Amino acid sequence: MAGTVIGSGITIEGEISTDDDLVIQGSVRGKVIGKESVTIEQGASVEADVSGSTLTVQGSVTGNINAADRVDLQTGARVIGNVRAARFTIADGAQFKGNVDMDV
Amino acid sequence: MADVSVIGQGTTIRGRISGAVDLDIAGHVDGEINVDGEVTVDRDGLVSANIEARIVIVRGAVKGDIIAQELVALEAGARVVGDLKAPRVSIAHGALVRGQVQAGGGVSSGKLISRPAARPAARPAHVEAPRVERTAARPELKAPAPRVVPSVLATRTNGSHSSATPEKKGPPPLVVPVLKKVKGAIAKRR
Repeated sequence: MAGTVIGSGITIEGEISTDDDLVIQGSVRGKVIGKESVTIEQGASVEADVSGSTLTVQGSVTGNINAADRVDLQTGARVIGNVRAARFTIADGAQFKGNVDMDV
Repeated sequence: MADVSVIGQGTTIRGRISGAVDLDIAGHVDGEINVDGEVTVDRDGLVSANIEARIVIVRGAVKGDIIAQELVALEAGARVVGDLKAPRVSIAHGALVRGQVQAGGGVSSGKLISRPAARPAARPAHVEAPRVERTAARPELKAPAPRVVPSVLATRTNGSHSSATPEKKGPPPLVVPVLKKVKGAIAKRR
């Protein structure tokens, strides 16, 4: 199983930078710098600027999101911050407050 | 399953990791780790942090002190620069340590612990585990061991407890003739 998993029940204060796929189930405060897919699962709490290629959010994010490819806010997601991505979807039931920049 | 966190090979974390989960580190961690669970530093893992956990298993590189409530196990390939402190400390053959080792139940058995700990402190070279492990893990077996074990092993256990002199007395007769032969051989060739 390649990739990095920040499990539920763990807290990271600081910076995560990775070339792997990243799955966050726990809580992160600081900065998240990914190059591949970043998945913020249900129950996760992220207070950080997040960057990556493909971002999937089911949990809570407070901070700016910057994706090279796409951002998907799924049902149950709660995002406060600006989103910058080529493609951006918000599913029914996702909460979102912030600006969107889709490189129009 | 859900409670295991994995820091993958291509991942760097700078900062503080805390929580009540098991942690599997194959990437880089720079900062501090304080976890109520099992921390495993894999072969590729590179940790520059003090580690506090219930169980710490090291197969990779750690620069920092390791404190465990239960067990510190350094397996083959481990490289640790820092102090080890736990009720149970095991250092496998092929593991490298530079630092103080404190194995045993804290303050009460401090006198017993001071002996093995003195070695790595005085001589900060690569310390190989089996000796430390023997002295630390079986203090009660000191008396019966020499009787049961054949003479060669008995001298070894004595040597590790007291000084290194019995070991030195043994080998020289073997070593000296070998050296003479070698010198002679070289002289003849030249």
